[in-house]
This record gives sequence, structure tokens and C-alpha cells, in this order.
Amino acid sequence: MLQDILEAKKNLFADGVQTVLRGQENRNRRVVFLKGNLVQNSRGESRGINARVHDHGTYGFASIAEYTPEAAEKVLKAATENATFLAKHSTKKIQLPKTIGTGEIPLNAQIVDTEQKLLIELCQTIDAYVEKKYPDLSSRTIVYTEDSMDKIIYTSDACNGHIVSPRCYLYVMMSAESKEGAPVEMFKAFGGFGSFYDHFMNPEKLYPGIDELYRKLMDKKEGVYAQAGYKTVILGGMMGGMLAHEAVGHTVEADLVRGGSVAGPNLNKKVASELVTMVDFAHEYNGEMAPLPVYLDDEGIKAEDAVLIKDGTLVGYMNDRESAQAFDVAPLGNARGWTFSDEPLIRMRNTCILPGKNTVEELIASVDDGYYLIDSGNGQADLTGEFMFGVTCGYEIKNGKLGKALLDTTVSGVAFDMLKTVDMVSDTVEWSSSGFCGKKQPMPVGMGGPHMRCKIMIGGR
Amino acid sequence: MSELRELADRFDVVLKNKNLEKYTYTLSKSEKQEMNVEGGEFKLMRTVFNNNASLSVWLGTKVGSVGGNDLSGEALEKLADDGIAAAQSADEDPCHDFGPDQGKDVFWQGVREPDMDLFLERVKEFLAAVAKEFPKVKVMMAMASYDRWNWISRNTNGTEFEGFGGQYSFVIEISAGEGDKTTGIDGAGFTTKDLSKPFMEMGDIRQHLIDLQNSIDTKSVEGKFEGTVILTPGCASQFISMIVSNYMGDGVIINGTSQWLDKVGEKVADEKLTIALNPFDERIVMGERGTQDGYRSEAVTLIDKGILKMHRLGLYGSKKTGRPLVKNSGWDLVVEPGDQSLEELIASVDKGLIMGSFSGGHPGANGEFSGVAKNSFLIENGKVKHAVSETMVSGNLGEAVKRIRGISKEQLIDGSTVVPYIAMDGILISGK
Repeated sequence: MLQDILEAKKNLFADGVQTVLRGQENRNRRVVFLKGNLVQNSRGESRGINARVHDHGTYGFASIAEYTPEAAEKVLKAATENATFLAKHSTKKIQLPKTIGTGEIPLNAQIVDTEQKLLIELCQTIDAYVEKKYPDLSSRTIVYTEDSMDKIIYTSDACNGHIVSPRCYLYVMMSAESKEGAPVEMFKAFGGFGSFYDHFMNPEKLYPGIDELYRKLMDKKEGVYAQAGYKTVILGGMMGGMLAHEAVGHTVEADLVRGGSVAGPNLNKKVASELVTMVDFAHEYNGEMAPLPVYLDDEGIKAEDAVLIKDGTLVGYMNDRESAQAFDVAPLGNARGWTFSDEPLIRMRNTCILPGKNTVEELIASVDDGYYLIDSGNGQADLTGEFMFGVTCGYEIKNGKLGKALLDTTVSGVAFDMLKTVDMVSDTVEWSSSGFCGKKQPMPVGMGGPHMRCKIMIGGR
Repeated sequence: MSELRELADRFDVVLKNKNLEKYTYTLSKSEKQEMNVEGGEFKLMRTVFNNNASLSVWLGTKVGSVGGNDLSGEALEKLADDGIAAAQSADEDPCHDFGPDQGKDVFWQGVREPDMDLFLERVKEFLAAVAKEFPKVKVMMAMASYDRWNWISRNTNGTEFEGFGGQYSFVIEISAGEGDKTTGIDGAGFTTKDLSKPFMEMGDIRQHLIDLQNSIDTKSVEGKFEGTVILTPGCASQFISMIVSNYMGDGVIINGTSQWLDKVGEKVADEKLTIALNPFDERIVMGERGTQDGYRSEAVTLIDKGILKMHRLGLYGSKKTGRPLVKNSGWDLVVEPGDQSLEELIASVDKGLIMGSFSGGHPGANGEFSGVAKNSFLIENGKVKHAVSETMVSGNLGEAVKRIRGISKEQLIDGSTVVPYIAMDGILISGK
């Protein structure tokens, strides 16, 4: 058993350095139906053992695609040699981060394997529903995707634990032709943390969401281009989550702060309206499990919430052990690696702007001339906090009422400028968790936000 | 006989014992030695030993694909069983297939025995050069990796390809700052088999550093206007990738949403544009040798002097739509140079941008794009004026390639692609 193999090798941890030994398996499942054709039917696993050794400022890391005692010994030896080699070429000498607690983190869930047959049948059922009910669509794509991480972690001076992170989603994508004959598209993701059996035992439960997707697509088919310019908008919860993650979250990752991000000189300064508070939740939000819970990170740090913006003031960053020591704060469990061959990097977990007091209806009613931007297909931002989000679903707002749907457009801005324009925040939060964050390695993350009234640059014609 | 070949022989026995008549698989072993720099200092040395096994199994016309990284006998046995189970669950579809017997071949590419000492010295030399020549630039991250691999691919039609390869790659993420002012992140990189030149002179690394140092003070473009955008080679690659997937890829041809569905043989772009995928170009370090469909890779021209020569269909898409197959599944992009220098291109522009990268989502099927111009500079009256921020560009991919003002003689050669600067008219540029 892997746990026994790793535990037995703890006696090989060298003195005077910090060592983590991690065994990890990643699984993926994927089924794709394109217009009724099964174009992808695949499943895969990768597993192995890695060791990371921290020797006063330089790290050695090694991994092997095996689950054996010999592999554990080899990676420990190679990681130590790598750290020693690099130390010769680095002028950086730091005190090793202090120990902030040891212990055992219990297994949080189980990964349940599902026969490929069930995944295909689910996709066939959904595809048949869409084809029969909406024959006027020009195209439809149904995708089932599942990924999971299973990690066993042993450390020299932090916590040990066994944690798993399974998630699965069903994407429904629809295309139709606009009145000009141009294709318009929309998609919706169903699912979340857990297994097939947690989310998809009754496909009929997905039908109302699919029907809503179709209605929005039909609105978009008759849609108009947004008028480009600086506009008052209501950002929907999904857009708020994207903003929290892309435009603010990355700039407050400590490695990017040290790389020169705009958050560096703004610590303890006003960066947003007083209505904005933002937290990177570890495993619980509002008394319930966060979308993608993290209980222990890959440095053996027990995960806790990281408050980033409090009532409009930037109050903290997300750290690993080394950066936490540099900023003289406690690490809160943000260091994670994607596969067995990946070293931990500072990553977000469940990043969210907290809700306010207004209802969504009040926000929309408050806008005379602007836009309601509901969903985003993608987003990017950089060190300055300058961001861009694609808007795949939105509506005009005229005199406090929703108007025509929007064709695809883009919004952009500078996060710490734009957040200062937030003057109404809704009392509910929407979460998404189906995406990957990209930063050398991919990483599943949750992001959430309320509806917010603000001013933003919108693209268009 | 290589270790992997012996493993493949054993895997064939496993598959035959399960009475499988049709399958294709690839087995590989790889090693990575990676030096990571953070904040201008060496931070992490990473060694990775990895394996991969991917298998597709046919039961009649049903197919299932499985993969893993455990090459033990027990794991390969399980992989075969999983492949059979996946195929049993699938739908009948005769369009799933792989190519006929292509014979047997062994490919040697790149550098198999690395000079890690020289590699390390080149990294140190680069960091010192940045500190000296570009004092306002911070090397947030640099990753110098040597990768070596051996793979073998076989199928039941008789094809057997084996590859041995190795390459150096170097990637940087940089920012620049002065006081409280900071730029955004810029990135650059290259792959090579030759360490004879300083890294500062490889690809367009130096140009990225120059541009970034000149980007600390930015201004937003005023108002909204239609202008010319000169795409840097990196940004041009980004646009060409969007064009290929939006108008020429399997998905959009199978579902019929491509706006170039019936345009093969017709002019879809300006005649100055020729786009090819050429894995045998000597400037490409590790060109594809065998396709994912089991064919020998071929050099293909997708757009020739503005004429769409073919869609980019794999075997499944080809059989599904009855359109020609493209025997190339890589991205060894070669775009023909033009007859103007970059300087002449800039001088010809009344008002527009040089755009280093496009921060925007993938355009929808209609080709409409809209996003932020990053690492970009304003051009007015034929002169580069200043770096821009909060500036958006929008247009339509299909229309933009018809309005190519010029293509530069200069090409970026980064070991993976060969791409010039491309200037496109009629792009909507809007400031705050």
C-alpha cells in the first residue's frame, strides 16, 4: 500500500532541510458527442511519487512514475542532490521557514470509479433530449469530463495526510444561426465536486437547466452588438467570480507580488469600494462545503481561509511557506501541484467576493442605460490587474428593465480601478468550479461572486 | 533492441491473447531536467522520469481509448482490459479508423546527450545580461528544461514508428517597473538543439526585453477608430491558430458551422498570405514524423497566396464529411515572409498598433474577436509613439485576413514556428 511505502521512508529524510514526500494519482474520463457522433471515448490514469527538499532557499524536486519503495528512495536522493547542486549556483540563502504545526489530516472523501458505459449513456440521453426537443439547433455538443487528484503527503516538519479531490461535469453546448446567418453559441456546465453518482444519476434533473440554456440562446440569436465604451453594468455572479479569480486573485499570489504585481505597493491601501470583501476559502463557505475543498496543501500546511480584501482594503496575499516567511505571516495552505511530477506552486482554492445587501432585481432596476453581463467563457489578467473577460451571455438594460440579448463581447479594465466603482452588491453568490486555472501547471479552482453594479469598458462595434 | 521495443513486443502478446484484431498504441519513456529561476535567482531543480501508454481498441467499428503512465506488465494487462471495456460501451461508427500500413521507421531528432553545464552557463549568462542591459526588467520566472524521450507506435495494419528525441527549451516571464509603476507580464521562449549562441540572441528574446523596458509608461488610446494592427510574430501565431480552429478544424467542419465550409479552392485571404505546416523545415527542431491517425507526416500548405487549399481534417473528420484527409496533426507552423521590412511596414501606417499579444477569448464560430491589446505600442504617422494600456481591438477573423496590408521580411524562428510580422487593416481600436 502506497501509504505504508511512503511512511516507511520518512526515516530517510535528511536533517537540516525540509522534505515532503508525496504519492499522487490523477484520473481523467472524457466522452464527447458532436452532433450525435461519439468523437471521443477515453479514460486515463497517471501516478507516481515525488520528493521536494528545501535547503535554505533552493529546492530540489524529483519524481518517478512508480509506486514502489525503490522509487521513493530514488526521488528522495535525487531531490536532495538537485537542491545541493542548485545551492552552489544561487546567492540566495534564507532561514528555513519555521514549523507551524504537525498532525494528521484525515481522508476527506472517496474517489468512486464509474464504468465508461454509464458516462456514454448519460451523454446519449442528454443528446437525445436536446436533439428531439430542439431540432432547430444547427449543432449540439455534449461533453462529460471527470478529473481527480488523490494525494498522500508525508512531511519532515508539517502535517501529513491523505486527501482526494474528485470532480465531474457535463457540458451542453448549443449552436444556432442568427438572422444574418452567422452562428451563435452558448454552453452550460452541470456538476461539481464528487463523482458521477453524486450528480448524474437522474438526467431529468438537468432538463430545466438545458431548457434555460436554449431560451438564452434563442434570445442571443436575435441579439445585438454592445455599444463599445465605458458603461454602467451589472456583473452577474459568474462574472464576479471571474473577476475575483483573474483580475484580483492572481495579483495577490505572493510569487506574483514578488514579481512586481500591482498588489505589492497597495498592501493595506484602499483598492476597492467599501462594499467589496474578498476571501480565498479553503474548504468551507457559509457553513457548507466550498465548491472544491482543500484541507491540506502539498507542503503539509493545514488549509485555512485567506482574507485578501476587507471592506475595500487590501489586507493579505496567498502564500507558500517560503513567501509567508518573507512577508512574516502564516502560510494558509495555498501550495499545490497538479500531477505527481509537478512541484507545488501558489494557487487559489475557492476565491470569492462576499455578498452584499441588495437583491439582483434592485440592481437591475437601478440602471437606466447599461448592460447585464451574466456569463463569461474565459478571462485573462496580468500583473497590473488589467483584465479581459469574454462575455458569452448578456442583455441590455434600458430604464431598469432587461432589453435585447447581446452577441459575444468583451469587457476590460484595471481591477483596482474598476472595483472602486462598485456601488451595489447583491445578497447572493454564484459559484463555478468546472475550469482550470493555468500557471505553469493547470489546477482546478472554484470561483464565486455576487452581482455587482459597476463601471467597465465594454467592447463591441 | 531498445527497452521500449521489447516492452512493445510483450504488449503485442497481451493484446493478441485477448483476441484483439484491431488496435493502435504508443508507449513512451521520458526524462526532464529543469532549472527554475524566480526573481532572477535559481530556485528549483526538477527531475522527472515519466512513462506513457496510450491504447485505442476497436471491436468492429466501436472504439475506446485509454491511457496511463504505468508500463508494468500488470498495468498493461489492465490497460488492455479497460480499452476493451471502453470500446464495448461505444457506438458503432465506421469513421473511426487509422491509416494503412506505412512500413517501419526509426526517427532520430534533436540532441540525445545534453551538455547541462553549458546549458546552466547560458542561463547564468542570460540573467547577468538582463541585469546589465535591462535594469528595469525583472525576470519573474525562467525555466530552462532539457527533455529527452523515446517512443514507439504500432498498429495492426503493420505500421511501426519509433522515435528518439531530445531538446533544450527556455521560457521566460518578465515584468518591468520603476517606483510604483509596473508593466504587465510578458513571456518569450524558444526550443533548440544548439547551445552555441547566447540566449539573449535566440528567437525574439531581446526584442521582448526592449519592448518591455519601453512599456513602463503607458497611455490609453483616445477614442475609437479603425486602424492598422501589426501583429508581432508571437501574436500572429495566436491569430493563425484561431483562424485554423475556427474555419478549418475537424469540429467546425463536422458540425457545419465553419464559414469556410465550401470555400476550398477559393480566395479567403489576401494573396500575400501563405500558411503551411512543415515538420521537415530545418528551422523546426522537433517536427512531427507520424500523425495521430497512423500516417507518415507530410508538409501541407493550408492557404497558398490567399487561396484555401484544404481544411485541416484528421481521418475521422475526413471520413465523416467525405472531404480530403490532411496527413499532419502537428503545429509546425511556417508562414511565408513578405517583401517589406518591419520598418517599412511601420512607416506605411497612418494610425494603429503594433500588438505583442491579444488578451481575448477564442472567437465564436462567426469569427468575431474582441480583446485587450497587450504589450502593444501606438503607431501614428508612420512612427511608433508609446506603449498603450486599456486599449481594446475588435474585428472579424475572416475579414481581417482579407485586409492584410503587408507581411514582413523578418521572421521569428523559435524552434517550433517560423512566423513574420503581419499587418492587418480595418481593425477597430478603442481606448477608455
